[in-house]
Amino acid sequence: MTMLRVRDMTVRFGGITALDGVSLDLNRGEILGLIGPNGAGKTTLFNCISGVIRPDRGSIFFDGHSLTYAPPHVRAKLGVARTFQNLQLWPSMTVEENLMVPMDALGTRNTFSDALYMPFSLYAERAEMERARAILHVLDLDRYRNALAGDLPAGIQRRVEIARALAMKPKLLLLDEPAAGLDAKETSRLSELLHTVRERFHVSMLLVDHDMSLVMRVCDYVYVLDFGKLLARGQPATIRNDPKVLAAYLGEESQQRSGVQSIPRVRSDERPLLDVQGLAAGYGGLEVIRDVSLAVRAGEVVACIGANGAGKTTTLRAISGMIHARRGRITFANRDVTGLAAERIAQMGLVHIPEGRGLFPSISVEDTLRLVSNTSGQEVDLGPAFDLFPRLRERRHQVVGTLSGGEQQMVALARAILSEPRLVMIDEMSQGLAPTVVRQLFDIIRVFREKGIAVLLVEQFVESALDVADRAYVFEHGTIGLSGEASELRSDRKLVAGSYLGTAADEPSTIGAANGNGHSNGHLDPALMEIVAVRVPARVKRALEERAESEGRPAGALAIELLRQVDGHLDGKANGQ
Amino acid sequence: MTSRLAFRILATLVAFAVLARIPAGFDVGFKFDSALAVIWAFGLLSLVLLTGYVGQISLCQATFAGVGAYTAGMMVASLHIDYMLAVGAGVAAAFMLGVLVGLPALRLRGITLAIVTLGIALVFDRYVFQDHAFEWFTGGTGGWRVNGATIFGLQVDSSKHLMGAYLVLLALFCLVALLLVNLHDSGAGRRLRAIRDSELAAATMGVNLTRYKLLAFGMSAAIAGLGGAFYPLVAGSVSPQPFWLFTSLQFTAIAVLMGVRYVPAAALGGVFMAVIPDVLTRFGHGTFMGHAYEISYDWFQLALGALLIAQLILLPDGVWGDIRRRVHHARASMSAVGGRRVKVA
Repeated sequence: MTMLRVRDMTVRFGGITALDGVSLDLNRGEILGLIGPNGAGKTTLFNCISGVIRPDRGSIFFDGHSLTYAPPHVRAKLGVARTFQNLQLWPSMTVEENLMVPMDALGTRNTFSDALYMPFSLYAERAEMERARAILHVLDLDRYRNALAGDLPAGIQRRVEIARALAMKPKLLLLDEPAAGLDAKETSRLSELLHTVRERFHVSMLLVDHDMSLVMRVCDYVYVLDFGKLLARGQPATIRNDPKVLAAYLGEESQQRSGVQSIPRVRSDERPLLDVQGLAAGYGGLEVIRDVSLAVRAGEVVACIGANGAGKTTTLRAISGMIHARRGRITFANRDVTGLAAERIAQMGLVHIPEGRGLFPSISVEDTLRLVSNTSGQEVDLGPAFDLFPRLRERRHQVVGTLSGGEQQMVALARAILSEPRLVMIDEMSQGLAPTVVRQLFDIIRVFREKGIAVLLVEQFVESALDVADRAYVFEHGTIGLSGEASELRSDRKLVAGSYLGTAADEPSTIGAANGNGHSNGHLDPALMEIVAVRVPARVKRALEERAESEGRPAGALAIELLRQVDGHLDGKANGQ
Repeated sequence: MTSRLAFRILATLVAFAVLARIPAGFDVGFKFDSALAVIWAFGLLSLVLLTGYVGQISLCQATFAGVGAYTAGMMVASLHIDYMLAVGAGVAAAFMLGVLVGLPALRLRGITLAIVTLGIALVFDRYVFQDHAFEWFTGGTGGWRVNGATIFGLQVDSSKHLMGAYLVLLALFCLVALLLVNLHDSGAGRRLRAIRDSELAAATMGVNLTRYKLLAFGMSAAIAGLGGAFYPLVAGSVSPQPFWLFTSLQFTAIAVLMGVRYVPAAALGGVFMAVIPDVLTRFGHGTFMGHAYEISYDWFQLALGALLIAQLILLPDGVWGDIRRRVHHARASMSAVGGRRVKVA
């Protein structure tokens, strides 16, 4: 029953091993989830299967064909379709045309007969239109048929992408973060949609998403990657409670609880240094954050945590003026800075260290730090920065691009501290760094606090972030789901985990109901659900269900009985020989 | 769908009938301009396919036209074959060169592709059309003279039969233009436009990029070459000057100015490119309110540059795109229903 067989996949980018011998099996009719923290290699594996990246080692087999080195259009012909995280519809074409491209690209159409409007082309054209309409009807997209794809809102475009993939008559549908940019309600509608699609179009799916509520609700089976290796696999319920998975997402549970309590509490009655009210922002047609309200008081360390794609980075960008706020108000140091140019905000003492650090790779350490005088308007003394980071003094003449990741982050922090800011926003400080380096950097954050500099931190290592922070905001679906004192949040590990690993759809009965034809599934033995719903082709499954209904027995029991019969039959054969 | 096709055929026939009459009343100079306008319109049409439909950049369309012209000129002058056969050979040669130029386009896009095609235009301009090593192809400094050419056994002469050449060119242009408009809405056209909008999505949805990009480059070059192949017939001889680098750049500029996504814009641009400079040199000097003035050909370049800047700000979809939009608005407000988007070209 294995439809997609991935064996020993290894991919290296330069010196970094993004994927290290990962194997994966996808059965016919199954919805398989692929999850993992940032940089775990999910996207790399996904890109290998969809043909964007060529692996260094390993093989991919699909329905008996090798896909390892097949070009994209060959994969398409074999029945592998995909959607894109960053919406790759053809914007200047109508929704219907978008669906017709894959249909006739896979058919036997001729360019010249098309241009001449030969009868065969006209006939094929009409047949394709019919099919496109049928697909659009199932996905409830009828009314957008003649709209230009580029004019549609992002949520609809996502559905059109799924419709377009289905137009290829795929056997396997690869979904790349289909829930990105959707809010909680839209996400739950998406999960229903995916179940409908499986029922109606008989496709298997491989789903990569950061949104655990979707993965847990939709998937039959989940693979978890971490640091390019397979960390765990199993059914969603098992994965959710797997301590290894929790640790990978939240970081190791920390023993040390130093520092925080000894610092005098900032007075809560004074006006916050940074005050954000009802902020909304996004990119193009995508609104990534909405209704974000948060405050940072002077000298306070505040952490923003939450799953990838929840809107943390976008929030920082909107605050620092890198992107425009669509709604809401941002006040910094008692001045309304909403809509102010980024460099003006920086001059007011709000420094943003973006993801990837925003350094100039071909400039030396010393020159990078001297550039600060540009913002502050006077020649700066580099002494304090070098005192804080002795390593940088040794390497002052080295070009920044040749430094290690941790050293580069030090340069970024040193640059920030030299401009004498009132608030520093740091995005994913520890990304791609070794744990020992990360610990050093977090110590620097403490130094910031001692100097009275407020810090707004976006961090994937939740435990370390909560260790150093006074307060924290937990982002969910583009808004703030949870906030509180860091110590409280840390003690309620379960609560934070919920926002990462999804809180809904625990019970198997929910899965059964979402499966569509619910009445017979409702009283199935949950352990048998997997067998009935997944390992058996949809046609057989339906026959099973019908028979179960007519006999008034659970389908699971029937399946077991049938399997025993087959087993007995095989045994009999073996004995007979 | 078929009614739309009938409408298009009708519109093409009307356009042909109207355009065929226009140069008849003018002198030889204007007849030459008209024929030249169609030749340049072919060049612009080739960009409608390549840039407008498929989204590829090329700065060497005049080179394709030049290869068509020289091939046709060589065939007629040295082998004395029928002119129509020579045109076929010219188109074939341009097609092959187009496919070759398309090869780098499989890997490159945007500014790098522009530079590569610019390099090809430069190389052909300097080292093929003007070099001694290729005299067998270019006919030396004098170029090929094709005064004794025949079409289907009839003697044609550039000075006497200019009008006839114009009509043949115009008929061919109308035919190719009609094919291109049809292509836009057909399955193949959709695949080409899919490449323009998102190559990544097109490839993963089963469009064979290699095949369609090479085909687009080849067909585009063939269209430019078809126009170029008639140049010797119209002008009486071939010289490198009309097909130099600057013509290629003008093609791109005027195609964008007129609306690179629309077939009729190519006709508009052809007239603009052939007639305006001639009008300027003819009537661009004299006295106005007592002051003598002199407007030379150089003013055409200046005006083109200024128009391009104005167009990019005021009419981002080009002149024809703007006309089309206005017509649609008027029609929509008249019918007041306006639910469905109507696409013509």
